Amino acid sequence: MLDAFEILTTSGIVLWRRHYAPLSSNVIDSLVRDVFIEEKQKSGGAENSAPSYKKDRYTLRWTSAKDVGLVFVAVYRSLLHLSWVENLLAAVRGLFTKAYGQELRKPHTLKVDTAQWNPMFDALVNRLDTGSTRRQSDTLDSEGPTELTPPSSSAGDDAHEPPPVPAPLFKKPAIPAKKGVVVDDTTSTDATPVPTPDTSRPATPGHAASHILTAKGGPGKASRRSRKGQTFNTSAPASSGDESSAGRTLKGSGKNATKGKRRWDIDGMAVEGDDDGVLDYSAPATPGPDTADRELDVSDVNTSQMGSHTGKGQFVLKDLDDEVDAILASSKQQSTSTTTTNGEIATGSGLLNTATSRLTSLFRNVVGGKTLSKSDLQQPLQQMQTHLLEKNVAREAAERLCQSVEINLLDQKTADFTSIDATIRDSMTKALTRMLTPTSSLDLLRDVSSTTSGPGARPYVISIVGVNGVGKSTNLSKIAFFLLQNRFRVLVVAGDTFRCGAVEQLRVHVRNLSALSQREGVGKVELFEKGYGKDAATVARDAVAFATNRDGHAQVQGQGMLYDVVLIDTAGRRHNDTRLMSSLTKFGQLANPDKVFMVGEALVGTDSVAQARNFAKEFVDTKGKLRNNGVGMDGFIISKCDTVGDMVGTLVSMVHATGIPVVFLGVGQHYGDLRGLNVGWAVDKLMK
Amino acid sequence: MAKIEDWLTWALSPTISAILVTLIFSLTLPVLIHYYLYKRAVARELPTFLLLGPSGGGKTALLTLLATGTASPTHISQAPQTAICQLPSTTRASEDQYRSENDTSSRSQPSILLLDTPGHGKLRHHAFSSLTSPAAIKGLLFVVDSAVLSSAAGLTEAAEYLYDILLLLQKRHTQGKTSKGPQAIPVLLVANKQDVFTSLPVGLVKSKLEEELGKVRLTRSKGLLDSGIGVEDDDTDEEGNWLGEYGAKTFKFSQMREHGVEIDVVGGSTNGEGEDPGSVHECWSWIGANI
Repeated sequence: MLDAFEILTTSGIVLWRRHYAPLSSNVIDSLVRDVFIEEKQKSGGAENSAPSYKKDRYTLRWTSAKDVGLVFVAVYRSLLHLSWVENLLAAVRGLFTKAYGQELRKPHTLKVDTAQWNPMFDALVNRLDTGSTRRQSDTLDSEGPTELTPPSSSAGDDAHEPPPVPAPLFKKPAIPAKKGVVVDDTTSTDATPVPTPDTSRPATPGHAASHILTAKGGPGKASRRSRKGQTFNTSAPASSGDESSAGRTLKGSGKNATKGKRRWDIDGMAVEGDDDGVLDYSAPATPGPDTADRELDVSDVNTSQMGSHTGKGQFVLKDLDDEVDAILASSKQQSTSTTTTNGEIATGSGLLNTATSRLTSLFRNVVGGKTLSKSDLQQPLQQMQTHLLEKNVAREAAERLCQSVEINLLDQKTADFTSIDATIRDSMTKALTRMLTPTSSLDLLRDVSSTTSGPGARPYVISIVGVNGVGKSTNLSKIAFFLLQNRFRVLVVAGDTFRCGAVEQLRVHVRNLSALSQREGVGKVELFEKGYGKDAATVARDAVAFATNRDGHAQVQGQGMLYDVVLIDTAGRRHNDTRLMSSLTKFGQLANPDKVFMVGEALVGTDSVAQARNFAKEFVDTKGKLRNNGVGMDGFIISKCDTVGDMVGTLVSMVHATGIPVVFLGVGQHYGDLRGLNVGWAVDKLMK
Repeated sequence: MAKIEDWLTWALSPTISAILVTLIFSLTLPVLIHYYLYKRAVARELPTFLLLGPSGGGKTALLTLLATGTASPTHISQAPQTAICQLPSTTRASEDQYRSENDTSSRSQPSILLLDTPGHGKLRHHAFSSLTSPAAIKGLLFVVDSAVLSSAAGLTEAAEYLYDILLLLQKRHTQGKTSKGPQAIPVLLVANKQDVFTSLPVGLVKSKLEEELGKVRLTRSKGLLDSGIGVEDDDTDEEGNWLGEYGAKTFKFSQMREHGVEIDVVGGSTNGEGEDPGSVHECWSWIGANI
C-alpha cells in the first residue's frame, strides 16, 4: 500500500501530504538531493512511466509539473509492486495543477489552501487503487474494507469519509439525499455478495467520490472546485456499474455533459469493449427507489456549473475514469496539449494559417513569451550539442546535458525579449554550473592538518591513478610542492614498479623539491622506493607503515609520525585492461588512501568517460562497496589544461560520467602551476 | 471644427483667464507626474532580505513562518522562492523609532520581500548571484542548524559557506568604486532549531563559528589559486582576500565591522509549537530595525 504521498514545490515547501505510515522526511530529502540536484540517477527517458528511486526499504515514484514548479512523490514499500501508482501520479498532477495552478503561478505564493484536496485525493486513490488492495487493504488508512468487498456497513463508510468542506454548501438538502444513496447502494451490493467483477471492484469508491464531490460541488465561491466535483460525478459511471444510473440521469439532464462523456466512452470502448456492455446492463439492474434521489443530486450539480465548463470537464473525466491506458494517454495528452496547441493549429488549418502562425512564432521568438514545444527546441538544442562537442565534451555527456535542458524547458515560456537560443544558453549554463560545482568543496590543507594532529594522528595518504602518460608523476610532484609550501613533511612513494625509469624520474623530482624546500626553509620531502618488480600494493602499505613509524624506529626520538603526508604514485594502466585494473582494488584496500585522485588529461576526448568510469569502479572496499560513499574516487586532476585553450570539455565529460568533482587543474610546466577549479571560469570557457 | 479653433484662439489670446489656466496647468503637471512616478517606484521596490545558509538549516521553514505565521513542512529546496511578508504589529520598523508609544494614529506596517535560496552545495550560485544583483538588499539572514554545528563536518560546511558570503560582502565594500561606498548589508546569524535537544546555545554557536571561520581563513589564504584568477586579471592581493582584520590571529565577527558588515546572532526555532514565539520575534525585530 502507499506509505505516503506528497506534493512539494521546487522551493521545498510541502503543499500537501498524506502519510499512511510514519515516514522519515529523510526519504524524500534524499530523493531530491540525489535525483533532482545531484542527478546521480539518470531520469527515465519514457515520459509515460514515472521514474522510480529506491531508498532504504522504500520505492519512490514521482512526476513533476515544471510549469508550476511542483513535484509529486509517492512512497511505498519496495516489497510491493504497485503499478497503479503511476496512474495516480499522472491523475494527481493533472487535477492538482488544474485546481491550484493558477494560484501557484502567481509570484510569492507559499501556500495554497489544500483542505479541499483531501477528499479529492481519497477519491482518486480509491478510484485508481486496483490490484494491490487485495493484498494490503488493511493498511489503507480508513477505506480499506470498502474495497475488499462491497461495503458491509454504510455507517462506517460515511464515518470515515473525510468531511466535506464546511464552506458554504449551497445545497444542504443534497447531503441527506446522497446518504440515502449510499445506504441503498451498499445494501444492494450486500444482497449480491459475489458480484460480477466489473461492478464490485470500483463501485463503492466511485460512489464515494461522487458523494463527496457533489457535496462540495455547489459552492459558488470556487468554480473550479465545483467543476471538478461535477466531473468526478460524471466520471464515476464510466467504469463502475452501480453508478451508471447516475450517469444515465446525468446524460438526460445535461446535454453537454452527455456529449463529452460519450466521446470518452467511445475511446474507452476502443481499448476494452465489453466493459461498457456490462455497464449498460447493470444500469437498469440497480434498484429504482434511489434514482429519484440521484436525479436530485445530479440536477443540483447541473444547475451549478454544468453547461459552461464541460469542455474543461472532459479532461478531468478522461483522467479519472477511463481504463488505465486511457488515463496514461490522457495525462500525456494533457501535458503536451498546451504546448502543441500552436503546432496543432498550424497543421490543422489551411496554408494561410500556417504562414501566419509561423510569422507569429518568429515574432514571439524575438519578443519572448513563447511556450516552448519540442519542435521549437530541437534545432537550437542540436546547435548547442554541436557547440559542446566542439569544446571537446564527450558525445554522451553532451547528449545528456541537452536532454536535461530540454526536459527543463519543455512547456516553459520564454521570458520577455528573450529568444529561444538565449533561453537555452541560460539553462545550459545553469546545468553546467550545477554539474561542475562540487557538493562539498575540498579543502585539502584542512583535511591534512586535522588528520595529522590531535588524538589518533596518522599520516594522510593520497594516491594518484590514471592512464599512461597523462602526467601522474608530474601532478604528484606539484601536489608535493604545494604541501611542502605549507610546511608538511611529505613522503613520496614510488608505486610504479613496472615502467623503466619511473623510480628515477620520481627521484629527480624529489631531489628538486627538497632543494627548493631547503632553500625556503619549509617542509621536507623524501622518496620511498623498493625498486622494480615488487607488488605496488605491498610497497604502498610498507610506506604508510614507515611514515606512521609504527615500529618506532630507533633513530627518531618521540614524535611518533615521521611524515605528515604520503603521496603514492602508481603505474599508468589502460582503463580497459581488466588484468591491470584489478590490481587497483587490492592497492586501494592495502594502502587505504584518504584520497584517491585520478589524473585525466584535457586533451583526451570521448574516451574520458570510459576512463573515469573504469577507474572509479575499481575502488571497492572489502565489503564490495565503492569507497567514498559509492563513487569510488575523491577527485579528478585535469592536467595539460594550458594546451587546450577553451576546449575544456574533458572536465564536463569526466564529472558527468562519475559525479566526482574536479579538484585540481594542471595549467603549466612548473611545480607551482596547480590550480583549484573555478566553476564560473570553466563554464565561461565552455559557453564561449 | 469651429469650436476647436475657437478654443485654440482663446488659449493663445492674451486674456487673463487663459493665462491663469495655463499657469495652473503648468504648475500642477510636474507635481502630478512626480507623485505618479514616486508612488510607482515605491510600490515596486520592497526592501529585500536574503535567506542563506547550508542545506537543512531551516531557511524555507523560516520563510513560511515569517510569511504566513506557521511553518510548513519542507524538504530540500531546488529553487529560490520569494515571499512578501508584513511586519507584525508588535514589531517596530526603524522608521517608526521616534514615534511615541501613545501615538494612536494608525501606522501601516511596512512589507518586506524575503528571498529564500537553496542551501545545497551545488545550488549556491543562486545566493551569490542575488547578492551581487543590483536589487536593494537590506540584510542577510544566515540560518544554521545549531544541532548540526556540534559535528565537525556540519560546522565546517556552515563556516565555509559563511566565509564565502562574508568575503563577498567585504570585497563589495572594499572594492567599491564610489567614494561613498555601497550600502552596508548587515548579517543576522540565526541559530535555528534551538528546540532540538542536542542544539548548541547561541553563544556557543557564535564562538564556534568564529573559531572555525578563523581556520577556514587560514587554509584559504594558503590554498591554491583559482583557475579563474589569471583570466579576471584582478590581481587581488593577499590582503584583499583576507577576511576581517588583516594579520589578526583569531577571527571575531566584530572585525567585520570595519568593512561595513554588522553581524548579530540570535537563536530561534521554526518548529517551536507555539510555546516559543519569541524566537521569530527576535528575527522580526532585527528585520524591523534594518528596513
